[in-house]
Amino acid sequence: MPTVASSTETPPVPAPPRGLWHPRLRGPRRSDLTDAVRAVVDVGHLLRFRRATMRRRGAFAAGMTLLLLLTATAATVPALTPGAGGDGRAFEVLLLLPTALGAFLALAVVSATASGGGRELLARDPAAVHPVSPTTDHLGALLLAPLNIAWLLQVWMLLGTTAYALGWRPLLVGAQAVLLLWVLTATAVAQAFAWALESARRLPHGVVGVRALVVGLLGAVVGLQVAGQLVATFDRIPTQWVVIGMITGDPWVLARTLLVLLGAFLLAVVLGAVPAHVAAHRVPRDEIGVEGSSYGVRRTPRTDLGVLLRTDRASVWRAVPMRRGITVLALGPALVAVIGNLPWSSMTVLPGLVASGGALLFGVNAWCLDGRGALWRESLPVTAAAVFAARAWVLAEFLLVASLVTVAVAALRAGLPTAAETAALVCTVVVVTVQVVAASMRWSAARPYAVDFRSARATPAPPLGMVGYSARLAISTTFTGLLFSGLSRIPEWRISVLVALPLLIWSAARLHRAYRRWLEPDQRARVVTTVAV
Amino acid sequence: MRDNQQPAPVVDVRSLHVRFGEVEAVAGVDLQAHAGEATALLGRNGAGKSTTMRVLAGVVPLTAGSARVAGHDVRTEPLRVKQVVGYCPDVGGLVPRATPWEHLQLAARLRRMTGWEEHGRDLLERFELGDVAHRVTAGFSHGMSRRLSVVLAALHLPQVLLLDEPFDGVDPIGVEATFEVIADARARGACVLVSTHLRELAVEACTSVSVLRGGSRVATLAAEEMAGEEGARAYRGLLD
Repeated sequence: MPTVASSTETPPVPAPPRGLWHPRLRGPRRSDLTDAVRAVVDVGHLLRFRRATMRRRGAFAAGMTLLLLLTATAATVPALTPGAGGDGRAFEVLLLLPTALGAFLALAVVSATASGGGRELLARDPAAVHPVSPTTDHLGALLLAPLNIAWLLQVWMLLGTTAYALGWRPLLVGAQAVLLLWVLTATAVAQAFAWALESARRLPHGVVGVRALVVGLLGAVVGLQVAGQLVATFDRIPTQWVVIGMITGDPWVLARTLLVLLGAFLLAVVLGAVPAHVAAHRVPRDEIGVEGSSYGVRRTPRTDLGVLLRTDRASVWRAVPMRRGITVLALGPALVAVIGNLPWSSMTVLPGLVASGGALLFGVNAWCLDGRGALWRESLPVTAAAVFAARAWVLAEFLLVASLVTVAVAALRAGLPTAAETAALVCTVVVVTVQVVAASMRWSAARPYAVDFRSARATPAPPLGMVGYSARLAISTTFTGLLFSGLSRIPEWRISVLVALPLLIWSAARLHRAYRRWLEPDQRARVVTTVAV
Repeated sequence: MRDNQQPAPVVDVRSLHVRFGEVEAVAGVDLQAHAGEATALLGRNGAGKSTTMRVLAGVVPLTAGSARVAGHDVRTEPLRVKQVVGYCPDVGGLVPRATPWEHLQLAARLRRMTGWEEHGRDLLERFELGDVAHRVTAGFSHGMSRRLSVVLAALHLPQVLLLDEPFDGVDPIGVEATFEVIADARARGACVLVSTHLRELAVEACTSVSVLRGGSRVATLAAEEMAGEEGARAYRGLLD
């Protein structure tokens, strides 16, 4: 009897006997070029399919227009500000640009690796019945990579930095073109690297090997930091030639830089398909490990809330995308904070960043945790209030765990905080957690989606929806973080508490509104029948 | 008004309407089912079988009409209804990252069951799920999921057993075990409703058959009248 792999699981494609033609593998009747062309054409089909199944096309068009406008604004407006292109601060910013380009590449690698090769243009189960090649999957993931608020914010920051550093002059157009090509190239390289790591992770003992590699890299970063060599190492990243190509004003240098980057981009796109194919033909061991593991029997909890909490916790902590995502979220910003020697007063931006990212792992569509079990769970004799309380609590503790780990690691080099700094940080953690939980529970009831979290690449909502959610979360939590950052500089710690109270009451009221909505049988039925599909 | 000859129905549905926006999924179903009997709901896709079952399980609210389960109104006493019902949904029905045993613990705790473990283990063994009792259900095949859904519906010996497509993709061992569950439920006086597309299995498992078409009930017959070639012709006639 099968006990692990589902009948819907895509099995690894076995190698055909020697000499026999096989439609999915290299053979005499089909050239690689034909396969590549077909893969590109299939991306078009899948995009059209996604567009046809889009719920709110008007909102999509408006969203895309807004993104383009913001990009154009970021690329031009800073060039018109006082001091732009000058010898003072603008020049200092220009000196930092090569490091910023390197940091973009590093973060792109982390992001693509954490999501197991990037997002899916078509989810794994629906895609299983179609002949979607790994190349199509790879190209789709590349196309979706920019629909990520972290990616967009970094690009806008780089465009703005370049515009400010160079000022309003003719070479800005060429410089921004080089920058955009660098961004695309770095994204494609990161994607290829992520596929390579994913294919390694799927080897026997690959999971352990990749974890060892990550720990080794973290150790190397810490070691460089301790030795005082980290900044020097970053400065040695060979991105200076890109910046030189941007700023020399020599059209030949500019053209050569553009051509080299374009070539590198195309090469990374093409080469990325190779590890994507390798990964697709191997079993995803992380996911299979979860499904094949035996979980020990624990005593039945004594309360309804207890058993609901246990079930929901299992749904969260046994999901590969949640475990990977929260690890990256908790440790990534913390590591940057340690390296940058972040002071306590600036540490208040971290909880909002981590909580927002945590909510984007499942919180914005919290009811999808039950998957196809939602209908059965709704038939159980328990109050809707208890079900809501358990789900909101599990989301809150998920976010809190990540935030507290981040703060604990970030605090390693920050020394002892003052009472005002402590109060500001504690208030930030509490306020952003309630803020994010309230927003997530509201969105979860308003726009539920059926999501299969078996894949490490799954996201709780469609790509553009994720951009909308992340932008709204980023705005509100960053505002909160900056507010308490300012308050931490005021010696009187009680002011932070006084400011936190109305913010908490406001978020609690919004959470209560989401709760009232969940109590309505019609709304609940709409949610459970949607996520159970 | 209660008929002196016939005991009051355990499931009593009158002019049931369920609407989702512009779509009317159920358009005036009347249905009565009694203790100790098993009633099959047959009909084409979209006939309203699953929606009717969801209303009786307290999962989907009705738009108009009335539905009472074991004397409880599904509109005003949904928790009471959920206490007396055991429901196997038509799709999935399992929390993906919980094990079968954790499903049983959840159901047993919320129904205040004590000493249920032996019965739970026995049910899992009967449905050949004992070996996978502590593995998450995300990796289960469709048939395994269906079998576990029947186990979960039957665990608390419910007064009303609602099985929606319990035979779909299930192997002969699982079908036999489901027959046993239905027979046991009838023997202890429970009311059983089975929604399925598989007419022959419905006839074998149930005492009567109600055929739904376009969201309404078009006929209720004794199960034997729907058996064999004769029954197949009669069924096709009711669907057209």
